Amino acid sequence: MLFGKTKLELKVGIFVFTGLVILGTFILLIGDFKAWASGRRINFLFDFINGVKVGAPVRFSGVDVGQVKEINFIFNPQENKTKVQITGWIRREVKVPIDSTVWINTLGLLGEKYVEIIPGKDYAHLVTDQPITGEEPIATHEIAKLAKNIASDIDESIVKIKNKEGTIGKLLYDDAIYNDLEALVADLRQHPWKLFRKAKEKPVTKQ
Amino acid sequence: MHAIEIQNLTKFFNTRKVLDNLSLNIEKGQTCVIIGRSGCGKSVLLKHIEGILKPDSGKIIINGQDITKLTNNEMDKIRLKMGMVFQGGALFDSMTVGENVGFNLIEHNHVSNKELLEKVESALCVVGLCGIENLTPSEISGGMKKRVALARAICIEPEIIFYDEPTTGVDPITADSINELIKTMHDKLKVTSIVVTHDMKSAYSIADKIAMMYQGKIIAEGTPQEIQNTTHPVVHQFINGLAKGPITEALDHD
Amino acid sequence: MINFLIDIGQKLLALLSFVGGLANLAGQAFYWALVGPYKRRSIFDQMKKVGVDSMPIVLLTAFFIGVIMALQIAYMMQRLGSEMYIASIVALSLVRELGPIITALVVAGRVGAAITAEIGSMQVTEQIDALETLASNPIRYLVVPRLLALSLMLPLLTIYADIIGIFGGYLICVHKLGISSSMYLHITFDALLLKDLFTGLFKTVFFGMIIALVSCYEGFNVEGGAEGVGRATTKSVVTTFILIIAADCFFTALFYFAMP
Repeated sequence: MLFGKTKLELKVGIFVFTGLVILGTFILLIGDFKAWASGRRINFLFDFINGVKVGAPVRFSGVDVGQVKEINFIFNPQENKTKVQITGWIRREVKVPIDSTVWINTLGLLGEKYVEIIPGKDYAHLVTDQPITGEEPIATHEIAKLAKNIASDIDESIVKIKNKEGTIGKLLYDDAIYNDLEALVADLRQHPWKLFRKAKEKPVTKQ
Repeated sequence: MHAIEIQNLTKFFNTRKVLDNLSLNIEKGQTCVIIGRSGCGKSVLLKHIEGILKPDSGKIIINGQDITKLTNNEMDKIRLKMGMVFQGGALFDSMTVGENVGFNLIEHNHVSNKELLEKVESALCVVGLCGIENLTPSEISGGMKKRVALARAICIEPEIIFYDEPTTGVDPITADSINELIKTMHDKLKVTSIVVTHDMKSAYSIADKIAMMYQGKIIAEGTPQEIQNTTHPVVHQFINGLAKGPITEALDHD
Repeated sequence: MINFLIDIGQKLLALLSFVGGLANLAGQAFYWALVGPYKRRSIFDQMKKVGVDSMPIVLLTAFFIGVIMALQIAYMMQRLGSEMYIASIVALSLVRELGPIITALVVAGRVGAAITAEIGSMQVTEQIDALETLASNPIRYLVVPRLLALSLMLPLLTIYADIIGIFGGYLICVHKLGISSSMYLHITFDALLLKDLFTGLFKTVFFGMIIALVSCYEGFNVEGGAEGVGRATTKSVVTTFILIIAADCFFTALFYFAMP
């Protein structure tokens, strides 16, 4: 104040100003301001969405074009069934044909779920407000059920084999065949000529 | 009315009694020198009068007000009429000499820059250090620091000035010039002064009254003449600087 | 046994008087900080010391931390075959945790120690007493500017540290691991939420207060000359480090449970 140093304020000012500019840029970059960008809604209808969350990416032809904004339940009186409607927000320039295939896919190792759109061919009719019905992902419990069925079938067969039931069971456990076979071999060694005789006999029997 | 009246002041540091029922009166315009051994509580007494330390019991009355009962804000008003010259100067080393001297004016008396510079300059000239405003305290010698500290104390034109060992650790010539300054303050500006010292030569030359402090009490007071001719054995040992006597014997018994 | 108990008792008393003294100082400092008026020059002076002068060392540390984080995470992620996630993990851990804590610790070591040493030597040379005799409250004159400067400058320094740390990670990923520049930036800013940024910056305000109050407290309580100043400086840095990390733990838990 008395014998002032004038550069002090300037330095602090530059420091604070630059810091605030960086903060502002930072906020703009990470902030959720994509909604302001040009985009539109798109709806999907699913029976089962396997844990997709709001904010999950929406991909079109494998490109991130937007994200899931809302997830709602819709009761469909015709089918008498509650369905899940996913509302996504995608870039305006993405044209989604009405015959596109939509399903819930899993990204990478950590298993983040996202909505995958594989475009169809009918570019004459584009998706507008009507929801696209998505293909159902196979629920984990369904896979488990299938695996269980297969396993129980195998189990049943093995039990039969163990109980000496059925052809394989008899083959494995009944030694009658073995004894017969051994007797046959022994017989053949002693009387190899029997083979020839049998060969001669065969056409006779056929006749 | 006394300028400063100290009544039955007692202060403990933990369990050690530093001030023991101490009483002392100082008249307006008088220079009172408090003598005593190092560590006998002289500086503690000064800090009580300045209001930096609060006593455990007792009163300190300055211009009719008991300062031990004042709030910080009220105390600050009284402090603006007092100046203190610390032992080592206690100049703020983050500031220049000029800012140090003008500290009080900058902080409290919103004066114009021109007036401020004039007052700082004149205070520095009084202590014989014209034109060193822009040096920093680290660039000046110990004796100069003491004189700058004195300039800082007189810059606000105080009614009371406290000096904590003003001549300790400076060369004899500087010591004498400081004594001259204290006398000048007394004669020309009529300030009440309290000087704490154990430099007897300085004490005799500046004092109107000398008080001897021992074991937290004032054991003797009087004019320099009276003190010089004392019969009190403790005072006698101290003022003559004897190695043998009641003071050192008391220490040996401890 | 008795000595042991006496020892514990004394430690406990010392701890309690530390807490009490700190709370007392904090109370007075906040009072004066709210009441004002402010010493504009000394606040600016402290802002320069805390902000501008700490910037090179904070930036350097943050840059290295960014590089280290990228390499360490790359080591893990390459085993899992998902280098994609390096950017988001670097960004999240820097902005949420490492940026604030590194900045706070560097500033505590640099500025906190300086404050304790400065106030401590002022105490030893009676400058604190001199302030009082000149009718200036030492808390208002010395603590408030430091408190304000530290709690304002630390968040700003943290922003710089965040950016530079992310830049460090960027250099490694783009130039050494072959991730494309635009993809790295995209993933970085995609992974971050405003919440991450603000929780990170919010706690640095408190770190700043801790640094200012503890350093000033230790400075005021210096006893015994130059050696005392040295001891107080060490103690102040150790105490601030512990308190900053404890406060960080508290805030992280708070944010985790309060705003998941």
